[in-house]
Amino acid sequence: MITQERYRTTVKELLANGSIKMAIGYRLGSTPDRRRPLFIRTSEEADQLVLDSTCMTNLSGYLVTEGLLSDEKKVGIFLRPEGIRSINILAAEYQLNADQIVIFGFDSTGRDVRPLDGRNVGEFSKLLNEIKEHPLQIVKEPLHWRIEKMNAKERFDFWQEEFSRCIKCYACRQACPMCYCRRCIVDSNQPQWINTSSHTLGNFEWNIVRAFHLSGRCVQCGNCDRACPVNIPLRLINQRMANEVLDGFDHFAGLSPTQEPVLASFKKDDTETFIL
Amino acid sequence: MTRILFSDKLDNCVAKWRSAGLTVIGPVQEEAISRYAAVEKGTDLSFGTVLPDRSLKELFFPQTEPMTSYTIKKNEIETTDFTPPQGKRIIFGTRACDASGLAIDDPLFGWDYKDEFWFQRRNESVIVTIACTKSDDFCMCTSLKLAPDSTKGADVLLRPIVKNKGWIVEELTERGREAFAIISEYLLESPEPAIPTVIVPEKFNLDTCVAWLQNPENFDSKFWKEISMRCIGCASCTYLCPTCHCFDIQDEGDTYSGIRRKNWDSCSFALFTMHTSGHNPRSTQSARWRQRIMHKFNYFPGKFSVNSCSGCGRCSRQCPVDMGITETLQEISKL
Amino acid sequence: MTENIQIAQQNIYKPAIMKIVGRHDEAPGVRTMRLEFQDPADHEQFKKTYRTGMFGLYGVYGEGESTFCVASPETRKEYIECTFRQSGRVTSALANADIGDLVTFRGPYGNRFPIEEFHGKNLLFISGGIALPPTRSVIWSCLDQREKFGKVTIVYGARTVADLVYKHELEEWQERADVDLVLTVDPGGESPDWKHRVGFVPTVLEEAAPSPDNCIAVICGPPIMIKFTLISLKKLGFDEANVYTTLENRMKCGVGKCGRCNVGSVYVCKEGPVFTAAEVSRMPAADL
Repeated sequence: MITQERYRTTVKELLANGSIKMAIGYRLGSTPDRRRPLFIRTSEEADQLVLDSTCMTNLSGYLVTEGLLSDEKKVGIFLRPEGIRSINILAAEYQLNADQIVIFGFDSTGRDVRPLDGRNVGEFSKLLNEIKEHPLQIVKEPLHWRIEKMNAKERFDFWQEEFSRCIKCYACRQACPMCYCRRCIVDSNQPQWINTSSHTLGNFEWNIVRAFHLSGRCVQCGNCDRACPVNIPLRLINQRMANEVLDGFDHFAGLSPTQEPVLASFKKDDTETFIL
Repeated sequence: MTRILFSDKLDNCVAKWRSAGLTVIGPVQEEAISRYAAVEKGTDLSFGTVLPDRSLKELFFPQTEPMTSYTIKKNEIETTDFTPPQGKRIIFGTRACDASGLAIDDPLFGWDYKDEFWFQRRNESVIVTIACTKSDDFCMCTSLKLAPDSTKGADVLLRPIVKNKGWIVEELTERGREAFAIISEYLLESPEPAIPTVIVPEKFNLDTCVAWLQNPENFDSKFWKEISMRCIGCASCTYLCPTCHCFDIQDEGDTYSGIRRKNWDSCSFALFTMHTSGHNPRSTQSARWRQRIMHKFNYFPGKFSVNSCSGCGRCSRQCPVDMGITETLQEISKL
Repeated sequence: MTENIQIAQQNIYKPAIMKIVGRHDEAPGVRTMRLEFQDPADHEQFKKTYRTGMFGLYGVYGEGESTFCVASPETRKEYIECTFRQSGRVTSALANADIGDLVTFRGPYGNRFPIEEFHGKNLLFISGGIALPPTRSVIWSCLDQREKFGKVTIVYGARTVADLVYKHELEEWQERADVDLVLTVDPGGESPDWKHRVGFVPTVLEEAAPSPDNCIAVICGPPIMIKFTLISLKKLGFDEANVYTTLENRMKCGVGKCGRCNVGSVYVCKEGPVFTAAEVSRMPAADL
């Protein structure tokens, strides 16, 4: 509660003195356990701000809403460490100017919420590097163990079964801060790269393409997983890809606003000659 | 005296219907989600959930439906029409909102040009609704002037009796009577009282909302932008909706052979109305959300005299950003 | 449900097979094709139902279907003519098809121009660029029974001389004594030998100043042209109820089910594509 009250005051001050034009946070949702995104432009709206351990959504995707940042004014946003990493990636991929983003960082343990020091994304680099070196021990769920024990064929069958539920609502894409493409590959019809139909092949194509596009970019915020209306455990795929990229390239996505995208940067002295 | 179907006889009924050639479909709790699916035994059915995660619509209007296969030769195009899977089926244990959804979409699929993919399935299905004895925070059938025991779209209505022991049977249509004649030996005359249906509180005044929507001045209201600001533009609300019926027609294959399909599509997507020229009549998310609300509560009833919403609440229940029809109409009724 | 609804005996989304019997390039990227029905039953159905103003879904299996008007008049039903700009996936596939190739047609759908109601009246056709085809369908439907109508005026403009479509028919109309043709191109779009007007359609229309008395106006063009032409017509004294236009929206089914052509409460595919200006002005402008 103290953190929430302090942040309400801070947001009001920054809005009043013109430092930010808007803050993006959370408010109460339609049931006691739900929180919904809140766009704060006035002091009254700041009073609706809620910040507690149930505020899970990574809100950074709203920053790339068309036109929001084009006036070069600053926007505040409430972010967990994963969300801060998203800002770094969006800046590194030239989707936004990190100096326009005022970060209200927070994290939680159990039900306790604590603020994170800093306002500009650069001020969090120590924290993010610590997270890279000492990743939080994610309590592995039973499903995780089950998949780890599978051989390639069993894993393929498992995912085929999971993807069979996909209805191609693209909630995963729309909820993902990294899926900012103006025209997604699935929406291209000249040529038609991906079947639009939601049948086995079409679902497989979509989910695998997305997993590849997020490799080295996903911060495991869980937005896609929570958004999926048919409960496909998307977190497991993206986590696995993140681990692969970390093991293979020592790349931990979103460490700084100048970090080169791991799968979209090239070096002349690359030992893999086929790339050039 | 009323006729009761005791739940310990459900296995027998399912077997009987199956041996009479009917596919038996009902609510099933799978590991990840609940939905309506075909079962072999009565015990495979699950009546515990408020309503299945996925709506009944997809059994009549699947997410992807092959319509025509084509083979192109030198001076000839050969085509073969697909038809929906043939065969009678009984859908046992639909919720009133889901069954209503079918009745709501009938006029749409039937006006002028009749969509045989929809109507063949409709004609071959017996809908058995079970009245609701529990609801959750998102249920809103009463706000749509429907009820937890609405008979709209149903051929038989079942009312649960105490201790989950069974259901009082109310046959509503000839088709329902025929289906229950097959299992008449398991229906017993008994004076068991029904559990009262759940009371679903009214969440908004529909008439107030509709009057506001019908006022042309409100089309350009800034309300639309405010209410939809957090919408991320996915289609989970439209795809889980028991009445949303929009679709796309897509060819899959190559220049020589392939399949033309009818696939779900959604007014939430920017591409839905985009012209080839780049002009988009509904170019913003707020315009698209306005279309969804207007279509359901203003345009559709204007054409078919029925709201395109049965109050199941799935749109709000599943929304990644906690939006939905309920909130929008609640806010409208405050304006 | 209590009663069985009659099921259509055939798949309503199944198109007729058409053979391309003629092709003509109208302007850069714009082509006219003449199509003939392969199945006499499809042709009979077309002859029974087609009236000027209706549209169809033209397609190539493997690529999809695209919506545009039937450009040939209701007085000539032996074939279908369509004119399209090569821009998307389907129109590119259509443009790549040769004479003798098979394509598909679904329709005709929608409403029509009520041309019997135009009998005895003067007609003013106003059109811009690639939007001449729907107008042309009405023009020929009327010229093929010329005696039933009064004075016929056609105002047609395009961005440049090259962008004018149906150039051979423009010449034909030019030579006819019973047709008054006003041609114009946008400023800068004229060629050295251009003998006609230079200026935007609404301006040229106001200069030509056709009388609104006993006159029906039919306008087709890009939204911006329609917007300003309607203003000009109002200035000239035309009543919105006597001004007709066609709306074009993205469509997939063409039969009122797929949900994308709505403008406000109007299903363009079933209640349109032909509307009076009075009807259009009642639609929410932001939806157009």
